[in-house]
Formats: sequence, structure tokens, C-alpha cells
Amino acid sequence: MTSVDTRPAGVAGDRARPRTAARPGRPGGLLSRARGGLPTLVFLAPMLVVFGVFSWLPIGRAVVMSFQRTNLVADPVFVGVANFQQVFADPLLWTAVQNTAYFAALALVFGYPIPLVAAVLMSEVRKMRGLFSALAYLPVVVPPVVAVLLWKLFYDAGEDGVFNTILGWVGLGPFAWLQESDIVMPALVLEATWAAAGGTVIIYLAALTGVDPSLYEAAEIDGGGVWRKVWHITLPQLRGILLVTFILQIIGTVQVFLEPFLFTDGGPANRTLTLLLLIYRYAFTNSLGGDYGAAAALSLMLAVVLTAFSVLYFRLTRSWSNA
Amino acid sequence: MSARSDRGLLAPTDWKRPSVKWSARIAHGALLAGLAVAGLGPMLWLAKAAVTPTQDTLRRPMALWPNGFDFANLAEAWTRVEIDKYFFNTIALAAGSWAVQLLVAATGGYALAVLRPRIGKVISGAVLATLFVPGVVLLVPLYLTILDPPLVGASMLNTFWAVWLPAGANAFNVLLMQRFFANLPREVFEAARVDGAGPYRLFWSIVLPMSRPIIGVVSVFAVIASWKDFLWPMLVLPDPDLQPLSVRLPVLQRFVELDVFLAALAISSLIPIALFLVFQRLFLNGASLGGAVKG
Amino acid sequence: MTTSRAAASVAAAALAVAGLAACSDDEPDDGRTHLTVTIDAGLEQAAIDAFDKRVEQFEDANPDIDVETQEYTWTAGTFTAQLAGGTLPDVFVVPFTDGRGLIERGQIADIGDLTADLPYRDDYNPNVAAAGEDAEGDLWAIPISAYGQGLHYNRSLFEAAGLDPDAPPATWEEVRAAADAIAEETGEAGYAVMTNDNTGGWILTTVVNALGGRTDDGDGNATIDTPAMRQALGDLRAMRWEDESMGDNFLYDWGTINQDFASGRIGMYVSGGGNYGNLFTQNALDPDDYGLTILPLADDPNAGVLGGGTLAAVSPNAEPDEQAAAVKWIDFYYMEKLTVQEAAVADAEVKAESGQPVGAPELPVFDKAAYDEAQTWIAEYVNVPVDQMSHYTDHVFDQPLLNEPAVATQEVYGILDTVVQTVLTEEDADIDALLDTAQAEAQAAIDAAV
Repeated sequence: MTSVDTRPAGVAGDRARPRTAARPGRPGGLLSRARGGLPTLVFLAPMLVVFGVFSWLPIGRAVVMSFQRTNLVADPVFVGVANFQQVFADPLLWTAVQNTAYFAALALVFGYPIPLVAAVLMSEVRKMRGLFSALAYLPVVVPPVVAVLLWKLFYDAGEDGVFNTILGWVGLGPFAWLQESDIVMPALVLEATWAAAGGTVIIYLAALTGVDPSLYEAAEIDGGGVWRKVWHITLPQLRGILLVTFILQIIGTVQVFLEPFLFTDGGPANRTLTLLLLIYRYAFTNSLGGDYGAAAALSLMLAVVLTAFSVLYFRLTRSWSNA
Repeated sequence: MSARSDRGLLAPTDWKRPSVKWSARIAHGALLAGLAVAGLGPMLWLAKAAVTPTQDTLRRPMALWPNGFDFANLAEAWTRVEIDKYFFNTIALAAGSWAVQLLVAATGGYALAVLRPRIGKVISGAVLATLFVPGVVLLVPLYLTILDPPLVGASMLNTFWAVWLPAGANAFNVLLMQRFFANLPREVFEAARVDGAGPYRLFWSIVLPMSRPIIGVVSVFAVIASWKDFLWPMLVLPDPDLQPLSVRLPVLQRFVELDVFLAALAISSLIPIALFLVFQRLFLNGASLGGAVKG
Repeated sequence: MTTSRAAASVAAAALAVAGLAACSDDEPDDGRTHLTVTIDAGLEQAAIDAFDKRVEQFEDANPDIDVETQEYTWTAGTFTAQLAGGTLPDVFVVPFTDGRGLIERGQIADIGDLTADLPYRDDYNPNVAAAGEDAEGDLWAIPISAYGQGLHYNRSLFEAAGLDPDAPPATWEEVRAAADAIAEETGEAGYAVMTNDNTGGWILTTVVNALGGRTDDGDGNATIDTPAMRQALGDLRAMRWEDESMGDNFLYDWGTINQDFASGRIGMYVSGGGNYGNLFTQNALDPDDYGLTILPLADDPNAGVLGGGTLAAVSPNAEPDEQAAAVKWIDFYYMEKLTVQEAAVADAEVKAESGQPVGAPELPVFDKAAYDEAQTWIAEYVNVPVDQMSHYTDHVFDQPLLNEPAVATQEVYGILDTVVQTVLTEEDADIDALLDTAQAEAQAAIDAAV
């Protein structure tokens, strides 16, 4: 959608990334006669209006706003870098940076190897591969809010909580999942991974079918065993896609909002306060009136970092698709 | 899946070795069991809990056969909690977002790929550039734009347009459409033109009918993204009468008894899961588009 | 391409968009004043019916006003966005703590001239009226109710734990002992506190006040690190980690703690004394379970019970005719039942008929005599378990009433949220360091607000 992609779905299965490289355009449009004529404008108009008003204009406005003090009550005042200074002076900023980095790192630990292993195994399934894929992808289609609210119940800290009941069977727990500062973040990441991993599995599966079987055959002639083939053929062949999902996941998890907002509202004791939650609070819950300037300043700084990742992503996908 | 992959990592000869065969089978069995527990388990639990009385769910959440079934939960969620209203809001939001996204992407993609205006490259670049801008940067300025939109004059808060129109500014869609259109056979266009078809008829009668696959992909993305969206509709639709399920459910949790609430959660998951089961291939193909650079 | 044609088609598309957007919020133009009023979120059907009936009565009496309802509940987390977005109803309610800031920043309508004509304008308890007045003493927001904090308890859990529900705890030591017994015997939380959405600071401040402390000196200085604060946190820590009597949810806000209390998962908690109505209409509380007593006060001359209240305010976007209608509605719906016998009876009658609670305890916004008189008017309709609240109603007027901190109230509450959450979720929380940080942050918030 438009605004923030609220999934940590770095792996966002629902995000289309173009893969077909555009053929270098043939000289001249098809209907050269109509080039730039009224019909062209009619067709361009919806895109120009919608992108203009809801994308290009707000992006420009974000930059301007980060140098202004504005609360919608008084006229905006130009304040130089005061918003940036204010953000840097906020002790919660570093809490949020650390928490966000922690979330992203944990998401990599949980969410990166498992889908890869699952996909490699699944690619060797000969029957019912559709069933495997469907099961893996099912959590991705569950509405994220439903997933979080359901998991919130699973995480009930009492002995009768769902997870605590299950762990009780093997003599573990009970754990105070969302109430304990040391395990609350892993708990959030676990749900986020559950919700997103299926998308990554499907991406890897598609990539695996693209591995040229003759490479395996060549390795077999050299007497390579299964593990050697995985290590020397499969993984190197997936190198590109692994890097891409890595970058996508970083971009997604750094913008995590839904889980900390709905599970804990940043608690306990700010242990799950993430950058996006902080931006949200600056803008929408400050009782002195929305501090849009500070919110814009922080978003802008975050955006610069993420844009670097996006550019990297784009260069990678481009160079591979042209290769 | 390409035809050549009648073999994968394991060679046919590998499959004949018992050790490989059995380890693969065991691994697959374990994987299937794991996927079933992780993928299906929570949903089955929700389905059970939706028709289980509150106290059973609280006291013995993992009991297989609850003391009693309480199908009234579903009815109560639908009527008293007015899930029906939020359900229809969700559908209206998804339908509108879908329509706007399709309109913008199809017309824009057509103009850029087929009509090719002189400034096409500039526009293309400007659209593409928005791909690099992370969503977070839009949150606040877009909200302020909705409060005081140019040209319109009146705040768009508490109108569905505040969700529908920004949904249209989706560069992925435009790009997908544009590339698909660009790869359509030009000969067909030429023939149509010789027959006297103008740009409008060409679009409506030739290009659109040939583009069903890409329209399907964009449609699935649009509907699912809208169904999933939370933060944005929460910000721009503060009036509960207009809110979709995703925004309303967290609020309802405070007021509604647990069993009815779980029934509401189950109802909310139903449509996307049903859509997935019906259009599985479309979903999975779309998902593999997600990061695929090859294959 | 011709520029004018280009501009024309772009403009046409834009206009189409504009037209679609604009027509969606058109109001019918029938010459009546359209007024949007506030109705609580998540009400049971009977409560909605009762509200609708009052709306009908109002419209009958004021045929030129058309009332529409909008669901709205004040929370710190959502109010600012609604204010900035201009999506508040014409009439909305805010806590006393927000009145001053809203008035200073002109974020609510100046209805001082309209309120000056209210017959009871000068009867307000000056302390109460101050919450809604600007520097000149004009009443911009009308105080509609006041509360003193109370200790709510679950009588069934008391019985199950072998405690006497008719003899609720009268000291903090007894609260701790009762909580321990409840947790021990029933497995539910003996005592729970709110921690989220600024309510953690609100309740912590309440307990600090009850122990004789303050969180600021009223002169622009934060005073977070006090013996009372340390005792309050020490008690929490002991109950949480030594007794383990506080259950297992430490992320409650106002709504969720009400819900868990109403469903029998909490033995005792501190909240506004008038909370019964919300528990009953929003959370389906079983009246038999309910008990209410006064907050235990320490033996300290400064100890007092934190009180607050609710203001009805008018949206700054309301036109003059809507402002007038809004004041009429506030007078009709919120005030007449306190000031006019027939109105009080009519209101009580509607509520009682539809099974809504009548007679939940509040504090007077005027004086105690007026409050007592109003109570006698509706005596025959009272349907709440007053006997189970008598420990509160009999004694609350003897307790010194303290106002909430006047400056940066919500910000400081938010800072204290973190303190409470830390103590409840980290066994080895460093209270010295927590209070140091909180002191600095609270001072900064106060400095920023002045």
C-alpha cells in the first residue's frame, strides 16, 4: 500500500519486484502520430495526479517539514536544524535505534536460515509440492492484525496460556512472553517471522528451479556428494537471491511498527520501542500537539539510510537480470 | 517451474541409494509435519476457539474437544459486534483501492509503454524513483496532505478516498503493467491501427484483453495489501463507522468477550484464506515475483 | 501538444477526484443545526438504546437541532491525532488535565459567553471550574463530572481467598496481604496496576499522593525522587517479585484493566471511583462481584486522594450556531441531571428502564449539598449495588482531595509509565537510576510546557 509497509516482511512476499528487464525501447512510439497528443495525456492523467498529490508532493513536503516547526494550529515556522537537534537530544532515540537494530538482527537469525533450509528440502519434494507451498504460505495471507491479536493470546503469561500449556507438557515454563524485558523482543520477532517466512520460502523455491541441473550433473561426475553439491552449487547459485532477500528484509524490519504497537505499545519499559513507533508518537500522540517537524526529521534520516539499501537492491537486481 | 527441472539437487541415481532416499523421506516428513503445525496449527486453533466458550479457551486452551460448542459466537460477532459493518468497510476499501490501482497502473503503463510520449522517460523515472523512498517518509506528510489536499479544499479524513487514492501511487504496479505492455507483440497493435483503431479502442479492445495475467497479479496484490493494511487506515479513518476490520479489531478486544472476539478474528481471516485457496497459483507465482531476479 | 488542452484534461481528472471526495461528506441542508455528539465506545446495546432515547428527547425539545452520534473515548494515544485531524465530534470530553493546554492553544472553541449564561455557572466548586477556565476566568470547557480515586475489588475473589468482602483493606499493608491471599488461593492477580498509555503514571502519582508525596512542587520543579515514590515503587516490587501477587499482565491500560477486572481476573486495582458505569456498560461486569472502597491514606498530613474529572468541550471547527447547540446539549445531557430535578428523574428513568446503572458514586462538581440533593431525586431509580460501595461513599468526602499535577501532566505520566513497567518486569531494576532519569525527563517536560 501507500504508506508504511507495516510488515517486517523484509521478505514481503506480497511485494512485486519487477524481474523482466525492459527491452531497450524501439525508436518512436507505436502511435507516433499521437505522441504527446490529447489521448496520451488522458491516459497519463490519473497517474500524474495520483503520484503528484500522494507521492511526489508528500516526499517534497517531508523534506521541507523537517526544517519547520508545525503543529497545524499556528503557521509553520522555519527552524533550521532544530528538529534534528531535538531528535538527537531525545534519550529515547538511542533506545529506539538499539531496539530496531535488535529486532532486525533477530529477524535475520530467525527468519533467514529457516526458509532457506525449508526451500532446499521442498525443491526435492516430488509429490504434493503444492501442499508444501500452500502450508508454508498460509500464514502470509492471514491479516497481520489478526495474526498479532491471536499470538497475543498465545503469549498469555499464565500457566493456561497456549504456548505455556504446550511447553508445560515438556516441563518448561511458564514464560511471561510479552511481560519480561529479555524475551519480549524475541517473542515479537517469532510472530513476525511466522507471518513472513512463507513468502521467502516461495522466493527461494522459484530461484532453486532456476539452478541449471547440468551443474549438478557436472559435480556428480566429479564425485560430489549431496552436501558438497549444496555447498558448492546450490548456495553459490542462490547467492544473488540471498543478498536480495537480505536487503529486502533489512528494509522491511527496520520499519517494523505493527508488532510493537499492538503487542506491547513499546513496553515493557520501552524495550520494544522501535523507530517507527517513536515517529508515530512524535507525530500523533504528543499531547502538546503533534510534533510533525521532529517526526519528519527522524523519518527523513531513517529514509536516507533505507534508500541506500534500496539503491543497492536495485543495482543488484538490475545487474543480475541483465546478466 | 521450468520443464528442464525434472531433476534437482538429487540425481536420479541418488534417489536409488537407500540412505539418501530415506533421509530425504524423513526430512520431507519432518518438514511437512513442521509446516502443518506452524502454518495450519494456529488457524485450526482459531477455528476451534471461535466456537468454544470463553472459559474453556482460557482454562484449557489446548483441549481437543471442548466442553461445548458455541456457534452463537459467530452470530454474535456478526451482529452485536457489528463485524458485518467492518467487514463491508474492509471490502469497500479493498475494492476501491483495487480499482484506483488498476486504473492508474493500466492507463499509466499503457501511456508509457505503448503511446510513449516525449516526456515519457522523465515520468517513468519519477515514478520509478518513488520505489526508492521507504514508506516511513510518507507517513506524516501524506497524512497532512489528506488533511488539506490540494485542489480538493476539504479534508479527506474520514472518507474512503483517503485510503483509495494514495493506494494508487504504487510504482510496482505501474512498472509491472508497463513492462508487460511493452512486451506485447507490436504487430497486433499495427494491425489494429490499420483497421482504424485509435488509442482508446486499442487500449480497451486489444491491450486490456491481452493483459489478463498481469491484471490478475496486480489485482491480487492490491486486494491483499488493502486487506492487510493497518496503520494508514487507522490514521485517516478515525470514525469507527468507516473503519476496516484490521483497525477495528484491536479496539474491540477491549470490549468484547473473548469467545466472540475470537469468532470475529476467524471471520476476518476467512476471505483472504479463501481467496488464497482459490487463486493459489496466482498467489504463489506472485510471491515468487517478490524477489526473483532469475527463473 | 497544446498546453491548454493538457492543462484542461489534467484539471478535469483532478476535478473528478475532487468532486468525488467532496461529495462524500455533504450534510443535508434542511436549515437545522447539525450537531455531532460523543457516545462511548463499545457500549452494550441497552446503553446505546438509552443514549438514543435521550437524543430523541433533546431533539423533541429542540426541533431546530439535528443530533448525530459519534463513537469517541478519550485516550492519550489517540486524542492528539483526532484534534489535529479535525475529526473530533462537535462535543467531546477530555480529562481535567488537558483543559488548560487546550484553552491556551485555542484548540477548543471559546464558549465563554455561552457558558456565562448557564444558571449554575457560579455554583461550581472553584477548584473544579478552574480546570475549564482561561486566564480571565471564562469557562471554555464545562466540568461535567469529578471523581476521586478508589480501590476497586472483586468480592467473589475476596470470598474465595477467605477474606471478608465487607471489610476491605484500609491500609497499604492490608492491600498487600489481601493481594497475597487472593493470588495464593485463586491463582488470579491479587492486585494489578495500569502501566500503559500514561495510565501507569496516573496510578503511580495517585499512590504517591496517598503516601503523602507529590510529583512536582507546583512551582515548575519536578519532584520525582521522594520517599513516598520510593515506598510506592518498593511496595510494587515486593508484591510483584516477593509475593508474586500481581498476576502476569504488566501492560494494562485503562480499557484492558477494566476488562480483566470485570472478567474476574483481578482482585484489586486503583481507578476512578465512578468507574462502575464503564465496567458495567462496556465490560459486562457482574454487579455481585463488585466492591469499592476508599484509597488507603498514609498517616501523613500531606496524604490525599488524587481526584480529577471530565470536561465537555466544543470543537474549534464548530460554527456559532453549532456552538450554541453544543452548549445546549452539554447542558441537557451532562448537566441537567445534576441541577434540575425533572431532568435528573427523566435521565434516571431512561437508564433504569433499559437496565443501565444509576447512582454510581461521583464527586460533586458544585458542592456536597447540591450533590446530596441530586442523589435524593433519583433515589428510587438507583440500581447499582450501593451497599457494596458504601466504604467509599461513606468516607471519600473525609479525604483531602488533591488535583492532578497542573503542568505537562500527561508527559510526566508517560515518563512514569516507563518507571512502573521497569519495576514490574525487571526483578533487578535499579530504582535509583530510574528515578534519576525520570526526574531529568520530567523536569525537561515541565520546562518545555511552561
